[in-house]
Amino acid sequence: MNALANAASAVLDFAPPLVLAALGGVLSERAGVVNIGLEGMMRFGAFFAAAVSIWTGSPWLGLAAGAFAGAASAAVHALLSLRYRADQVVSGIALNLVALGLMTFLLEALFGSAGVSPPAPHLPHSLFGHTALTWIALVVPFAMHGFFSRTALGLRIRAVGEHPRAAATLGVRVLPLRALCVLGSGVLAGLGGATLSVGILGQFDSRMPAGQGFMALAAVVFGKWTPLGAAAAAVFFAAGDALQRQLSFSLHASDLHLEGVFLAIPYALTLLVLALGIGRTRAPAADGVPYEPEGR
Amino acid sequence: MAELAPEAAPPATSLRARLFSAAREPLWAALAAVSAALAISFLAILATGKDPLAGYGHMLEGALGGFGPLGESALKGSVLVLTGLSVAVAFTVGLFNIGAEGQLIWGALAAAVAGRALRLPAPLAVPAALAAAALAGALWGLIPAVLKTARGVHEVISTILLNWVAIHLVHGWLVAGPLAVPASANASISVAGTAPIRAAAELPRLLPRSSGSRLDLGLPIALALAAAVWFLLTRTRRGFEWRATGAGHEAAEASGIAVARCAHEAMALAGALAGLAGGLLVLGTEHRYPGVFRTGYGFDGIAVALVGGATAPGTALAGLFFGALRAGATRLQLVGIHQSFADLIQGLAVLLVAAPRLFAPLLARLRGKRP
Repeated sequence: MNALANAASAVLDFAPPLVLAALGGVLSERAGVVNIGLEGMMRFGAFFAAAVSIWTGSPWLGLAAGAFAGAASAAVHALLSLRYRADQVVSGIALNLVALGLMTFLLEALFGSAGVSPPAPHLPHSLFGHTALTWIALVVPFAMHGFFSRTALGLRIRAVGEHPRAAATLGVRVLPLRALCVLGSGVLAGLGGATLSVGILGQFDSRMPAGQGFMALAAVVFGKWTPLGAAAAAVFFAAGDALQRQLSFSLHASDLHLEGVFLAIPYALTLLVLALGIGRTRAPAADGVPYEPEGR
Repeated sequence: MAELAPEAAPPATSLRARLFSAAREPLWAALAAVSAALAISFLAILATGKDPLAGYGHMLEGALGGFGPLGESALKGSVLVLTGLSVAVAFTVGLFNIGAEGQLIWGALAAAVAGRALRLPAPLAVPAALAAAALAGALWGLIPAVLKTARGVHEVISTILLNWVAIHLVHGWLVAGPLAVPASANASISVAGTAPIRAAAELPRLLPRSSGSRLDLGLPIALALAAAVWFLLTRTRRGFEWRATGAGHEAAEASGIAVARCAHEAMALAGALAGLAGGLLVLGTEHRYPGVFRTGYGFDGIAVALVGGATAPGTALAGLFFGALRAGATRLQLVGIHQSFADLIQGLAVLLVAAPRLFAPLLARLRGKRP
């Protein structure tokens, strides 16, 4: 039972980055903008959170910087894909590439090592043994669910993702609203990245976020583009990850070298759900479709 | 709405049209993007107080300065040409193959296993191992095509998922467990991986060892395949059908083209090309599937195809360029910069190529000034 308790505690620590990034993906994709760039946005957030935390000594300022850096990188995605009509997938991929090179470059330029940053002051584990981010990540999915289902702005966002031209005829300004959602997506992904550096590890590692942005993307799909579904999927994936760690420690599964099989399961499951069409999995109708305002 | 506009024409939905129609002169757009990326990166080095001129000098020397560097550029370039072609071929039928990485990984593993297991004389061992690599990549590439045509699963999502399935299954399980050879006590951890391939399956070097160049048969293979892909896409009936499918599958279907079959064939070829890229890496330089194999060549193939305008000649040129860039970037450590600086340049180039409208005014002005 101790192993299970450990695993549950590990989930509360390791799920938040995934949950926050997945919600970022939901926000952007429900507004009709594909976000392959979650990985890069998390990387921006992780780096700047650690850097500002080191410089100021305050992990809270670091967290804010991570959110801001995520939004700044998302602004590039928004600018390219909405203003300059770049393909949304391409713009996301380019953002990931830039994040990969730029963060390592800045890490080396600012801290003298291309591997890891110096230790960064990290968030206190004061709230029932976990950081504030754990509890934030528990609340945000429900908040976003309420926002989408109960508010006028939430309805407009969904309309813009399903049928932008119809929304436009009702007076919704499609492109600014989409840009806003992409920026919000960057804030959430940036916070997710910041969780990795100033929440969990206490420093920035040049390999961050090590594919977590893509796993968040899988969670968005697995959760059928809904806030609660994506968050649940993210927790499920994180639990699988924690279980795998526990198994490889407690049961010596590493002798069988089945860790890789375990790690592949979330992606394979998502693929299976898509392939079998379990429970009407459907992306927002206008997801990834560029919107050209009339009369241009 | 100020006035009643007639129903606007639906936006061009073909992937190719969306990606490249705005760049009426893809070659100039690519050159402008790459130059701008190099310039921005130059300024980035300057901003950190390091010497960009010396850095770029070392990079040039590391890419082109003699037989050794040229060989390294060609090795990396030939792999990138193949993964770039993989992405470009999928573009032709309107599919975005983000899965070249996973296809490359299975191709590399198949080459390592076949190169070890097959007891064939040298002239047969290399083609057989390469065929195994191509087949493995093709099968992995077929999955997203079938999921797309049979179940309507978007290939961007499925290829991303399949990449991670491949990475974890191969790196975390097969190469770490069932296929692993325990590293001997004094060997470093990086030597672990699968058993080495037979000498007969090693890709022949083109230059004597004394030249200092590791240039191997990979470059001619990659360039020949680029020429073959160019011929297939532009000069054959099948290539025409693929392009018609990519331009708009309803119209293609209406004119009697088997759209699903075209998608399957093109993705199988795309996978085979990426698989071959993995085969070149294993048969040419690694000679086994190494325990730590951080390739990224598959992801880079997307950048190569985009900067190359998704044509076979453009992709070949872009692949060779980015290969040289990666080879040169290893020398950046001489000025205290990590070799991942190449990722930054490459990413900026894609960002700038991705938004052709950024350059449209500049290009128009340049054209206007020409006599």
